Amino acid sequence: MRFSIFGSTSTPQLGPFEQQLLRELWVRGDATVRELLDDGKLRQAYTTVMTTLDRLYKKGILDRVAEGRAFRYTPRLSSEELQRGAALDGIRQLLGSGDTSSLPLSYLVEALSAHDVELLDELQLLIERKRREIKAGGIKGQDPMVLGSNAKDRR
Amino acid sequence: MFALRGIAVSLTFFVLVYCFLSALVAVSWRWLKWLHATEQSVADLLFLLRVLPLCASIVITAAFVVPSFQILEPRTADEGTGILPVALGVAALALIAFGSYRVIAAQMRTSRIVGRWLEGARPLATDARTVTFRSRRETPPLTLVGMRKPRVLVSDSTVELLSRDELLIALKHELAHIRSCDNLKKLVFRFSPFPGMAKLEAAWSQAAELAADDAAVSNLNDAVDLASALVKLSRLIPVEAAPACTVGFVTGSIGARVARLLAWSESGKQRARDIPRWFAVPPVAVALICAIVAYGPVLSLTHEVTEWLVR
Repeated sequence: MRFSIFGSTSTPQLGPFEQQLLRELWVRGDATVRELLDDGKLRQAYTTVMTTLDRLYKKGILDRVAEGRAFRYTPRLSSEELQRGAALDGIRQLLGSGDTSSLPLSYLVEALSAHDVELLDELQLLIERKRREIKAGGIKGQDPMVLGSNAKDRR
Repeated sequence: MFALRGIAVSLTFFVLVYCFLSALVAVSWRWLKWLHATEQSVADLLFLLRVLPLCASIVITAAFVVPSFQILEPRTADEGTGILPVALGVAALALIAFGSYRVIAAQMRTSRIVGRWLEGARPLATDARTVTFRSRRETPPLTLVGMRKPRVLVSDSTVELLSRDELLIALKHELAHIRSCDNLKKLVFRFSPFPGMAKLEAAWSQAAELAADDAAVSNLNDAVDLASALVKLSRLIPVEAAPACTVGFVTGSIGARVARLLAWSESGKQRARDIPRWFAVPPVAVALICAIVAYGPVLSLTHEVTEWLVR
């Protein structure tokens, strides 16, 4: 899972390790530093993880509650909410970047149209590949009774 | 004065219950994403949740508030009506008027636009069990219009672009929308506006599209044909936004729909379970029995709250 829209916006910028910790917390829901380290996925020192989580807390991305002598951290935003915020920031920056307000908007429409066409091309390729698979290897997932009734309609 | 006070109190109750339940639904409907059921069940549950505040507030007002006022309020009492019931009563009337305006405006706009789309349209003979019209090139590619007499409009471009199988499966998809009365449901949504319900309606719309995809498809060839029709029609540039009371074929997340169709399998279809309708019977029966058994005390309690409101 990549978060390519992190950075370059007024949404807090996150470094690679911060992103990794955030992803772990999204998966687990909440965790202490010890629990994150006990998973064995992190190779960093206890203090590095603790400092990074503290930084995320100060950036307003995590909540924390005291649990004994440690803190239990919880993400304040879901992955979707954070990405949405970053995307909105990007769009706001884009719209505020030009001398005339219509120009950046036209770039946006152009980019979206190009993106749409690319996406549709990709989907079309997937469909063609699936058709070839069906032709070559028989029809997976086919209900035999329905196939019999529809066979005359097939190309 | 008695009648006016009764109306004000009833409307006050109505608007309070409506706002409370609407806020509750707007906050809590996302829990449904944890539900493992067919898209049709999810769409049905989302629709029920969306209309619950309106239906429940009407039922509670008619079954408890009006009778409690009629039976327990002394007709000779020379009580005034407080500011709060009057203000909330006016708010309830404004809400009903706004809802009615939205319904009428949507219907009028839909009729006007659909009338224009139908100009020069001619019946299209297909094997699908839907009344289908072939409309001009500049109309939307494939749209379901109407509630009492639903029709499917297929543009010239669509007929030229799609193969026979693709067109048939796309029409089956629209037939599923007709069976679910989705145009009527959209109109019901417009009658009960409340902030924060747009996301629920969008989720319902997506679930209704997926449910119609599921209903149309009965084998992998159908699924691929439907996916192909979706991608082909997505390339057509929309000429104008579709009015509220219509269902367009190219709606929702196309990528997600196509990916889902290409992953179609008979076993996957069987894994997802419909939530049986009779699941609703026990809670409704229990609620009815409780309401009948405790009707007297509830009426008294309602009347006490009414008194408190009027003062």
